[in-house]
Amino acid sequence: MPQHTGTPVILALDAGGTMTDAFVVDDTGSFTIGKAQTTPHDESLGVVESFRDALHYWDVTAEQAGPHLRAVVYSGTSMLNRLLERTSDERIGVIVTAGMEDYLQLERSVQTYAGYAYSDRLHVVTHIHNEPLVPRARIKGVRGRVSFFGEEVLPLYADEAKEAVNSLLDQSVTAIVVSLLYSYRDPSHEQEVAKIAAEVMASRGVDIPVIVSSTSTPVRGDLARLNTLLVEVYAARPSRRQLQAVGERLHSELDSTAAVRVLTSYGGTVSPDHESLVSTLVSGPIGGILGARRLAELYETSNVICSDVGGTSFDVGLISERQVATRTEPTVARFLLAIPTIAMDSIGAGTGTRVRVDPAVRRVTLGPDSAGSRLGMSWEPGGESVPSITDCDLVLGYLNPDYFLGGSVDLDPDRARKAILEQLAKPLGSSNVEETALGVVRLLETEMRDHLMGMILGMGYAPENYQMFAYGGGGPLHAAGYVGSLEFQAVRVPSWAAAFSAFGCACADYTYRYDRSVDILVPPAGSREQVLGLLRQTWSELEQRILADAARDGIDPKEVNIVPSVRMQYFGMLDDLEVQVSSQSGDAEQVIAQMMVDFDSLFEKIFARAAKSPESGYFLTKAIAVGTYPTEKPVIPEFVLGSKTPSSSAEKSSRKVFEGSWREARIYEMDELTSGNVIAGPAVVEAPATTFYVPTGYQATLDRFRVFELTRS
Amino acid sequence: MTTISTDLSQSPPAGNSPSLIEKMALSKRQYEETGHYKGIDQLRLKQTDHFRYERVWAELRGALVSARETALHISASPIVRNIGELCFALYTPEGDSVVVSTGIITHVHTMSEGIKYMISQAYEDSPGIKEGDIFCNNDPTLGNVHTTDVHTIIPLFYEGELIGWAGGVAHQVDIGAGTPGHDPVASANRYEDGFYVTCEKVGSNHQLHKDWQIRAGLSTRTPVYWALDEKCRIAGCYIVKEALDRVIASEGIDYVRQFMDEAVEEGRQIFLARIKERLVPGIYETASFFDAPYADKAWHPEARIDYLMHAPLTLTIGAGGQFHMSMDGASAPVPMPFNASEGSMQGALWVLLTQTLIYDGKVNDGAYLAAGHNFPAGTWCNAQDHSLAYGSPWAFLIPSFTGLFRLLSRGYFARGFREEIVTGYGFTGDPLQGGGFLADGKTYFPVSNFELCAVGLGARGTMDGLDAAYAMWNPEADMGDAEVWETIESGLLYLSRRYKPDTAGYGRYRGGSGWEALRYVHGVQALQLYSFREGRVFHGGAGLYGGYPNSADYKVRVHNTNMAQLAAARKPYPLGEADPSDSELERLVQGEFLRTNEGMMFPEAFGDGDLFLSLFSGGPGYGDPLERDPQSVARDVLGHVYLPETAERAFGVVVRTSGDEMVVDEAATKTARENLRLRRSARAVSYEEFYARERELITTGQLSSPVRQMYQQSMHLSPSWAAKFKQFWNLPDTFSL
Repeated sequence: MPQHTGTPVILALDAGGTMTDAFVVDDTGSFTIGKAQTTPHDESLGVVESFRDALHYWDVTAEQAGPHLRAVVYSGTSMLNRLLERTSDERIGVIVTAGMEDYLQLERSVQTYAGYAYSDRLHVVTHIHNEPLVPRARIKGVRGRVSFFGEEVLPLYADEAKEAVNSLLDQSVTAIVVSLLYSYRDPSHEQEVAKIAAEVMASRGVDIPVIVSSTSTPVRGDLARLNTLLVEVYAARPSRRQLQAVGERLHSELDSTAAVRVLTSYGGTVSPDHESLVSTLVSGPIGGILGARRLAELYETSNVICSDVGGTSFDVGLISERQVATRTEPTVARFLLAIPTIAMDSIGAGTGTRVRVDPAVRRVTLGPDSAGSRLGMSWEPGGESVPSITDCDLVLGYLNPDYFLGGSVDLDPDRARKAILEQLAKPLGSSNVEETALGVVRLLETEMRDHLMGMILGMGYAPENYQMFAYGGGGPLHAAGYVGSLEFQAVRVPSWAAAFSAFGCACADYTYRYDRSVDILVPPAGSREQVLGLLRQTWSELEQRILADAARDGIDPKEVNIVPSVRMQYFGMLDDLEVQVSSQSGDAEQVIAQMMVDFDSLFEKIFARAAKSPESGYFLTKAIAVGTYPTEKPVIPEFVLGSKTPSSSAEKSSRKVFEGSWREARIYEMDELTSGNVIAGPAVVEAPATTFYVPTGYQATLDRFRVFELTRS
Repeated sequence: MTTISTDLSQSPPAGNSPSLIEKMALSKRQYEETGHYKGIDQLRLKQTDHFRYERVWAELRGALVSARETALHISASPIVRNIGELCFALYTPEGDSVVVSTGIITHVHTMSEGIKYMISQAYEDSPGIKEGDIFCNNDPTLGNVHTTDVHTIIPLFYEGELIGWAGGVAHQVDIGAGTPGHDPVASANRYEDGFYVTCEKVGSNHQLHKDWQIRAGLSTRTPVYWALDEKCRIAGCYIVKEALDRVIASEGIDYVRQFMDEAVEEGRQIFLARIKERLVPGIYETASFFDAPYADKAWHPEARIDYLMHAPLTLTIGAGGQFHMSMDGASAPVPMPFNASEGSMQGALWVLLTQTLIYDGKVNDGAYLAAGHNFPAGTWCNAQDHSLAYGSPWAFLIPSFTGLFRLLSRGYFARGFREEIVTGYGFTGDPLQGGGFLADGKTYFPVSNFELCAVGLGARGTMDGLDAAYAMWNPEADMGDAEVWETIESGLLYLSRRYKPDTAGYGRYRGGSGWEALRYVHGVQALQLYSFREGRVFHGGAGLYGGYPNSADYKVRVHNTNMAQLAAARKPYPLGEADPSDSELERLVQGEFLRTNEGMMFPEAFGDGDLFLSLFSGGPGYGDPLERDPQSVARDVLGHVYLPETAERAFGVVVRTSGDEMVVDEAATKTARENLRLRRSARAVSYEEFYARERELITTGQLSSPVRQMYQQSMHLSPSWAAKFKQFWNLPDTFSL
């Protein structure tokens, strides 16, 4: 690697349960990656260590780099782990509409198989309820009912609210969550409960947070809304101190003045002081989409399909017309949540996917479970007893047993070969290990391709409309396979594929998003003034919240770009789509008419044309406002295109790969390749963190951004 | 070896293709002669290139799943959208399913019956089967379950020749029956079942016919839902068509034809292999019952009877994995909407098997071929009389199939697959249905939501049953949000959704708990409500190995309440009825109480301020309740699964409250359990004594009228069952009841 000359300016962090990765970018766009053990009691320690580790490759100290940092972006799994392992210290008390106290025991049924693979969703003996975040004794009901129309049908029983608060305080709760039916339509009952809680707490000299749904999550759907508040208090907020501590330590030890920002599931970043930290609960796979969006700008393309092959899953997301689709009720850790989340579809197909032959029916099954970090049979210390995709890749010659993770992990091809022979080939009546391994890999890639196709068709497009970006540790290895015969505009594999998600995190802007259920019927005919009036009023409320957030985070409100949007559906349907509102000023007729036109065209693309149903009118489910403030992003350096032929130092050796028959493949070192080089298949390009396989009939050209373009030769 | 199917797979010259009737007859004959689908005894494609075969499978399956996912978004009815009551399948030209989507799998075979009907009725000649045609069916006598399940079927063509079918089914909230809702109780004949569509051509050139749209729009109470659900089914069918076209483009038409046939045969072989793996060969027997006390409530004179449904079930497992189930001895059809067609029984068989034996999703009509069955003609489970009512066959079908879970569980037990054991399930009857108008007098709202899909699952072989989260007809249960249901049922507010104590069957592992919802009528101009659940006694859910059945339903509603006065004075209003013997309802609210000890209720008018309690079933138990861990019982009491007195009476566990906790009184529990065992011993009689006593009841005719009629019907309809009955009870050949 050449002598490093740039100044480190961006630090992106991915704090997993075991290791914290640091991705450091300098002002020329060069980057370096470091690792350190995650330190759960004080994450800031691991963060600084990881930063130091990354910088040592550049021969720079953290103290030298700290003052120059302009952006620090954090994503991590500590909140998710706290939720999965039920290790929070929070003792939450809950107040709901009387009679509904069994929410967490009933779980709307749907959480009993949430997150299961299809076969287990059918296989009913496997369904189980989750351990509730709050025991039944700390969930109190208060009488009173507001209807769907926002009418107070039964008044709030204030005495019961008082009794509930007292009872919860008697149980030493650390926070009280309030979610009453239809509070998003009429918040007065919740406000009254909050007022009573404040009075009771004052009289008892207690001060704990009281979170009401009509303020923090004013959306329809009682279970997801309650879950969201609970997860916020139970899992997300306990991380706030940790996140603040990261910024403090970077400042006190390394003299950094950069604000620490946390990645959200909707694809922007917020400060650790953000009220709704639950929106940062899941951000891992989101990074890749943001990275892809950044690359898409360089390639001046509007439609990109993002494919991320990890050890356990294959995640696909779409950028269509420069927009990333958002979903509003994701399932995370078997909880239905009401948080806007970038639409990503995952299947349990990754490099660690375990492969078996069903003995009774002699059919191959892939996963859905995975060896994960235990890799497969070829890595004896992992203790696996079933072959994985990695084992297949190894016996096919695609992976280098001596250079896996840069040689830090020794793989044993003979163990893989034996496992494939005994457990897969023989039960299928074959003795050919390589044929079997190839069949397995092709089957996996077919499943991946179906998944891609389903997602593209689901958005109303064809592969021809898209460029495909392949990344993740396993993306470069399988991209040619899962693209197959699909005619994408281009297939691109970034040379930094393994660190692509971290790169994407570093690209995230400050983004504040607020949703509110509105439930407005827009009949086929009639005045639009009232409709737009209601929307404007809601947007204005949401805008105020965004501006308050910006002010808190030290951002000039004038610099925040706020875009209003709605979620809408045909009246009678139950599934909504998000439509950006290009302009909310002007004639109400025109503004609403434009929304309808935009919705019609989006609907027509995504669903069948025949299903368009404007005859009964439209239904506006949510008003949304998104405020964005651009921040420092990695520069993607541009290199001069040089020779098509790689330098002799780049070509390391050759190795036999199996593609139906054995072929001699050239082996390259990725770091030694330069822009303009063309690699003809069969070839394997190796890097410490990833392996790029170029099959016979394909070629890969390293372009000026150090991204490979894979084409058929 | 060359199979006949290989010849078929070679495209004959255009114009000389055999007709669909000929193809179907040939396929049937080949199966009968060879025991293999279309005579395919070798899975040539799979053997030649195992992985290519699997890839084509994966591609088609992926397409069906995404067809369903996309169509779900288009659908209107909450039942389809929220609960996923929708599925799609790809069929061979003869109407045998090859690949199926996720969703309500019951229907994969029901649509097959519809296609076969159209073929056998020579639809090729009239009304013609052409590219771009759209067919619709919901007739239970042609394979469907009940009229509210509506099928859309399109033929698929390649270069002018029919190469298969795509079908989609979705459940409607209303089908224009004599009473609103989706599971009627009051209809007594076909002419009250609602809108019937009998394999009708409703579109051509890829467009629905205008006259059809008009007729359908006028035929149900919820035309918007009808139209949107039909769009969703059509859209899904076209996604399947496009996927098949893609696979043909990549693999070639010959491969695809052969694949479709081999996949069906493989489905058959897989089923046999799985049975052989999981079950011990032999003959397994059980019986299930369901009572319909209609003498005091039916609208039609002929229906004023108290009827007891009899579902004897014999399962025969062969050494090679052969499977055969028989309901020989089933009782007679009824002038009630509970009759089942053979197709609906086949659908039920299918949906249960895919939850317990063949859940990997690699399932198709091959499994149907392998799952031999006998639903005797002329009985309630294969009435063969189109003039009967079929609106709610679930009433008999759901309890009758609890027997299959019990029998399979015995087989699993014998083989050592204890974790596969499920004792049965609660009755997914619909305790609250109807429809009404909001106060504006114009806005109609249907009452038929699908929270009923969250009943208790029976206890499992290694743990308790699943609480409030199971439906036998769709394992992906979702009770839905109260806030979502009230957007539709805006005149019926939830005052509660909570566990109902004592609904779960007792056992070492208890059944899953049921639950209750109290609804408050508000802001309506007119409303009628009725209830479809079991009668007084039977729901099918017997326990296993000493476990108890779940509780039966009862009904309570309160008219003309003082709710408004209570609310004005901030006096507590009721939230349900945890303990009927100390009724919260009766303690807190005044009004006209209507209470019956049965779950069936005919339509009744309701007005503002009225209350209606919906009860949802629990599941049966497994093993002796006296062997249940006392700490588990304490947790049950804390979680409102059992009342404290039930813990003592049924489990012999004495608990007391201690702060937030429920603690077991160890000494009192020991005594209580000893006493219960002593009481059991005191009641115990030898088998011989029991047999003699029961035999005397039969020989002296001391049977209640519904029981006597049930046995009379079974003996009359099945001489073989009558002979078995007489042999068991050692009765003379001349014996009659």
